[in-house]
Amino acid sequence: MASSSSSSSSSSSSAAALRRWELENQIAGSEEADRDLIYWYDEAANSRAQQEKPWSTDPHFFKKVKVSALALLKMVVHARSGGSIEVMGLMQGKTLGDTILVMDAFALPVEGTETRVNAQADAYEYMVDYSTTNKQVARPENVVGWYHSHPGYGCWLSGIDVSTQMLNQQFQEPFLAVVIDPTRTVSAGKVDIGAFRTYPQGYKPPDDPVSEYQTIPLNKIEDFGVHCKQYYALDITYFKSSLDSHLLDLLWNKYWVNTLSSSPILASRDYVAGQIFDLADKLEQAENQMASARYGSYMSSSQRKKEPEESQLTKITRDSSKITAEQVHGLMSQVIKDILFNSSRYHQCTADPSGPEPMVEA
Amino acid sequence: MASSSSSGITFKLHPLVIVNISDHYTRLKAQTLHSGESSSCAPPSNGGTAGSAPPAPPRVFGCVIGVQRGRTVEIFNSFELLFDSKTHTLDRAFLEKKQELYKKVFPTFYILGWYSTGSDVEEADMLIHRSLMDINENPIYVLLNPAIIHSQKDLPISIYETELHVIDGNPQLIFVKSSYNIETVEAERISVDHVAHLKPSDGGSAATQLAAHLTGIHSAIKMLNSRVRVLHQYLVAMQRGEIPLDNSLLRQVLSLLRRLPAIESEKFQDEFLMEFNDTLLMTYLAMFTNCTGTMNDVVEKFNIAYDRHSRRGGRTAFI
Repeated sequence: MASSSSSSSSSSSSAAALRRWELENQIAGSEEADRDLIYWYDEAANSRAQQEKPWSTDPHFFKKVKVSALALLKMVVHARSGGSIEVMGLMQGKTLGDTILVMDAFALPVEGTETRVNAQADAYEYMVDYSTTNKQVARPENVVGWYHSHPGYGCWLSGIDVSTQMLNQQFQEPFLAVVIDPTRTVSAGKVDIGAFRTYPQGYKPPDDPVSEYQTIPLNKIEDFGVHCKQYYALDITYFKSSLDSHLLDLLWNKYWVNTLSSSPILASRDYVAGQIFDLADKLEQAENQMASARYGSYMSSSQRKKEPEESQLTKITRDSSKITAEQVHGLMSQVIKDILFNSSRYHQCTADPSGPEPMVEA
Repeated sequence: MASSSSSGITFKLHPLVIVNISDHYTRLKAQTLHSGESSSCAPPSNGGTAGSAPPAPPRVFGCVIGVQRGRTVEIFNSFELLFDSKTHTLDRAFLEKKQELYKKVFPTFYILGWYSTGSDVEEADMLIHRSLMDINENPIYVLLNPAIIHSQKDLPISIYETELHVIDGNPQLIFVKSSYNIETVEAERISVDHVAHLKPSDGGSAATQLAAHLTGIHSAIKMLNSRVRVLHQYLVAMQRGEIPLDNSLLRQVLSLLRRLPAIESEKFQDEFLMEFNDTLLMTYLAMFTNCTGTMNDVVEKFNIAYDRHSRRGGRTAFI
């Protein structure tokens, strides 16, 4: 990404970024007609897929998820509107080979608590109503999954989530579980989302590579650890229609103000404080573990497995670096804004002829 | 600026609405294009061609919902509506049903108006507008132009209100265009940014994250710079006499300049420095933790290498 200041280079660098992204996500045929083809609901192909059911033989059949821009926006906004309460909703779409396509999402009017399994029964009426109205407005896709939010504690499936999903995968195939963390999204400045499918009971998965590490708060880490082997994560990519991309490009003309004026430090103050508390607890725990282990190791031979304490400390180090990096990013934005808009102060102190001056004298 | 809205109401539009409308239109277009000429869903209502030429893209209709607080109207979301092209009316029962559903999930939003696609306001639109007047006494009409013109610089979205004007002795309602701002919550902005500018979607290294963050800010500042340059050139041209003087514009520029510096008080300085120090403290702590971790590793390795209690006995076995 070149940093020259001519406006033409910005368009060429964004075009280069687009081409690179398309290459990475293997988007074949980036012409407008092809891109919009994905929006056509093919009745015949879908019913064929329903009859063949290739997913019933292979628990690891679905590997990728493609989320539409609209679905992502709706899910993130809904998750964020819940604040610190978990919210949930359903996703509509279709399957395409080993990819699940999520075209749209809608929210369900249920309060999220840990005992969410029963709440799904209440939402059925809403779902039926919503689906019938949707079919009338040219959205004939079926429900293809559910999403819910984990505000502040990461994207993974809790015990209840795993059992709900396993039930869904028995009766409502194909079904996908998506988890969004709106708090971490705002804090990190990038969307925190994960898509999962559970393995059927008793299936022993071949050791798949560990997905991207994320820090889990102490009070949830047990729940995470017990169930983390029962499901696997799918790759998520995004797509949008040609009109969407056109509009989003133009939107940037009005949007840049918001980018500049956003202050992530203010927005995620509580979350950062919570994270630091959590880190402190984890450090204490690690310290106690290490202290007890040290006395033990003098007695027994040196072949004793020392991995638990070491990896815990490395994990803590990684967590602390991540949180600090986010905080530093936020601070950088604040400093830049200060220099940009409070320049007269600097102008008086230093005789710096570059940068801020033109704005004052223009 | 927002002052051109004649009724004095400021409009705030959320990007979710824009993506909603665009998605509805794309869906319908895809359905009708692929179902062939026998498609009966949403026939083009503005006199589309039939037969040899491909049918004109159908218009879509829907409702926009949001909140109105005093003089500010904030449009948060939207949903689709059924349109009966023969009678040129919206399906009322459908509207109520959808409204109920949306009320359950978003209890604070209510119907603010309706939307449609097309290049310009049409005669038939007034009928639809009137029919919505019993729900909201001053509905708004959001029009999206779905034609993709690459040289376009502005969003092809316009918001219309109605005003009572006396034309030829008859009081009539006419559409009046209003300006609007784009409003967003942080999470919305991040996801729009994510999809639009294709930021790195996974963790990546700290370097790529930093690069992504700074690139975003850099592009925003570049926009600011280009706008300021435009203003600068305009003013210079005015000074040289190439452009006739416009006092109201000059006043606006002056008021803009008076707003700099944005904040300049002791308290702000203190708060700012405190935040700065807090972040530096966090960096210090993180570095400490890092060092502790490394130290711990070194000590463990040392213990393994020089363990006096091993069965093989002493250092000699390891050299």
